Amino acid sequence: MSEYQKLSICKDAQLTLKKAYEDGVQTVWDRFKKQEPQCGYCELGVSCRICVMGPCRIDPFGEGPQYGVCGADADIIVARNLARMIAAGAASHSDHGRDLVEVLHKIGEGTAPGYTIRDIEKLKRVASEYGIDTEGLGNEAISKRLAEAMMEDYGMKKEKITLISRAPKQRIELWEKLKVVPRGIDRETSETMHRTHMGVDNDYVSILLHAVRNSLADGYGGSMIGTELSDIIFGTPKPGFSEVNLGVLKEDQVNILVHGHSPVVSEMVGLAVEDKGMIELAKAKGAKGINLAGLCCSGNEIMMRKKIPMAGNHLMTELTMITGVVESIIVDYQCIMPSLGQVAQCYHTKLYSTSDKAKFPFMEHVEFNPMNAKEQAFRIVKESVENFPQRNKDKVYVPTSPVKTMTGFSVEAIVGALGGSLTPLIDAIKVGKIKGAVGVVGCNNPKIKQDYGHVELIKRLIANDILVLTTGCVNVAAGKAGLQMPEAKELAGPGLREICGLLNIPPSLHVGSCVDNSRIIVIACALANAIGVDIDKLPLAGAAPEWYSEKAATIAFYAMASGIFTVLGVMPPIIGSKKVTELATSGLKDVFGACFAVEPDPIKAAQLITDHIAEKRKNLGLNA
Amino acid sequence: MKVVVVKPERCVGCLQCRFACAVAHSMSESPHAASYETVLSKPRIHIGLSKNKDLFPNKCRHCDPAPCEMSCLTKAIFRESTTGTVLINPDRCINCGMCAMACPFGVVRYHVYVNNKTAAHKCDQCISRQQKGKVPACVDVCKVGALLFEDYNKVMDRDTDEISSLVYLGIRAKEQEKGAYQSLTEYKRSLEELRRK
Repeated sequence: MSEYQKLSICKDAQLTLKKAYEDGVQTVWDRFKKQEPQCGYCELGVSCRICVMGPCRIDPFGEGPQYGVCGADADIIVARNLARMIAAGAASHSDHGRDLVEVLHKIGEGTAPGYTIRDIEKLKRVASEYGIDTEGLGNEAISKRLAEAMMEDYGMKKEKITLISRAPKQRIELWEKLKVVPRGIDRETSETMHRTHMGVDNDYVSILLHAVRNSLADGYGGSMIGTELSDIIFGTPKPGFSEVNLGVLKEDQVNILVHGHSPVVSEMVGLAVEDKGMIELAKAKGAKGINLAGLCCSGNEIMMRKKIPMAGNHLMTELTMITGVVESIIVDYQCIMPSLGQVAQCYHTKLYSTSDKAKFPFMEHVEFNPMNAKEQAFRIVKESVENFPQRNKDKVYVPTSPVKTMTGFSVEAIVGALGGSLTPLIDAIKVGKIKGAVGVVGCNNPKIKQDYGHVELIKRLIANDILVLTTGCVNVAAGKAGLQMPEAKELAGPGLREICGLLNIPPSLHVGSCVDNSRIIVIACALANAIGVDIDKLPLAGAAPEWYSEKAATIAFYAMASGIFTVLGVMPPIIGSKKVTELATSGLKDVFGACFAVEPDPIKAAQLITDHIAEKRKNLGLNA
Repeated sequence: MKVVVVKPERCVGCLQCRFACAVAHSMSESPHAASYETVLSKPRIHIGLSKNKDLFPNKCRHCDPAPCEMSCLTKAIFRESTTGTVLINPDRCINCGMCAMACPFGVVRYHVYVNNKTAAHKCDQCISRQQKGKVPACVDVCKVGALLFEDYNKVMDRDTDEISSLVYLGIRAKEQEKGAYQSLTEYKRSLEELRRK
């Protein structure tokens, strides 16, 4: 067992890893071990595969080549690679957002059966931000107009994207001065690809400033649209309780998992599993019912809105099948390891891909679109139920009992919990009961013991009276550790404990999926606007202790550019350039009022953050 | 005795061995910190490129007797008895270049690497890693099996088995293709054709 304890802090992961070994199943950790040691040039960011005069490498030890074939030095190569990473992350979130714009448009046209507007008030509120006069218009008409206005955000018609205006005035002025205000969501990503083509932008500062603009196009564009439209179409989340860990899988029920990021698919599956006919069919097949659970951010989306339990985060996705009780996994896109199909070969689990953008080995493709989503969801759920008798009883092993967790803290819900405005939170910060707030976000990465980075950091932050907001894979980590229950206030410092007790909320709040990092940005902007200072003056920070994905790099960039000091637990591939490294870890502070730090040890990361918050409080004239 | 055996036909030119070598001989032994040290660690393995673009991972062969050791007037070059590794004491090195002249493989370089003086610099077969029970760094990172850490005779035994399979692959194929007499006449015909040219 001790070898599995080195890989993850989670009991459910350790126990299923042991079974995976006995069943002869290869997991992400086995493959990681086989890849080690990983390429040093690539880790430093000094390998370039952009053109076929290359591939080129810069020798970091000074003896070999110092220039690529084109003449690019380490600084240019690192900056180009990093910018492309940001572009890929922005593209992913923003394309997810685009799918929701498409659904909204089809709702407006009446061609999206099964989808409707669940938050009419928010539809009108966002529409008015887009300058749409909603007076006398029906929901369909508003939806269509709003969708069309958002489509313009994606294009090149505008001087700046609409929701950037949510940022404080001072911040927008700074961005204007630096020429990093995003003009169009897709435009900035395209331009990054253009600039980093051989022979275009070869000034590392200029490349990176554009990468900032590209990230802002995601944070205040694609991602923010993704969050707002998900709320409008599927309902703005409200606080409530759910469950988490592999124990949410039920031995006597049909277990269906949704995995990926888009609520467009998972919400429909949620509808189908509640159908009486389906439940009857499940009973006829010998099951007691149908149990739906989530993985990764598709899970976060339905947990936030429907309180549907979550089976796990990124590194748990393969392990769910090891339990032998999963009838099907329905995936959409992002963070779905192509290995899932291989694992499924050892069990009876059926896998379905649903997006034409994302197909996988050993998965059946059932295309979802707004027109057919409902019937496709019913078809997959029916097939999953019919798969129940195929379960091999000898392979069944659900290792743990589920843990209760709290969820649903949208911006609206947080404001609601505070009694209708942010003032009580600001007052609590002013008097020092809450020292500050930190977004702990990001993924899992086999380079870091699973969930250790998240859980240890959150524990230390709340103990220092720092309120934590979680998204993505961190929600599952914090949930499993019991940190997202009101009872966790006992682990918080005295000030935060008092506030949590008064409001009956946990010291670590689940605010959503990784697209929903835009919620954290909205709160930061609202706090700054309410106090009348720029975001970089506030006692805030961000952390991505176990990040792996390009999307996380983009999130880190837009957080930094918004003025939020961000600590990364995994080294990004930049340190082959001393200039870029210096810029990222200190130089940016003079430009954006915030910079990055890299610290894999969560205990030291917590110290960096508490010191940072103490400094910000001091500068605001508040007690440390 | 185990040595680094090179299989040049397997080398893909990724240069991982050079990277790992430099890191293993740096102060920090960390891939992230090594390129930030004041005196940069230099790789002790070199990838040669033939006129036909064939690659050859070239490093000290630790010859016995070693021409470099014999030519070293200051006795800076010596043999470590337990592993048979040829080592350099940079303090005794006078940077005269004799070892480089004597080395049949061209694996000696001159770099500043200790005490701020230039000295002869070559593979030490990661003797400190070996003492910790690890294989040399270049072998550790080679993904394609171009660098092995083994007893030469064992590798050659394995190669002999492989060669025999290859030989019989050919023989069996030929047996199935045509008769021996036919092959003989074809052979004689080709000889005749050659003669006419």
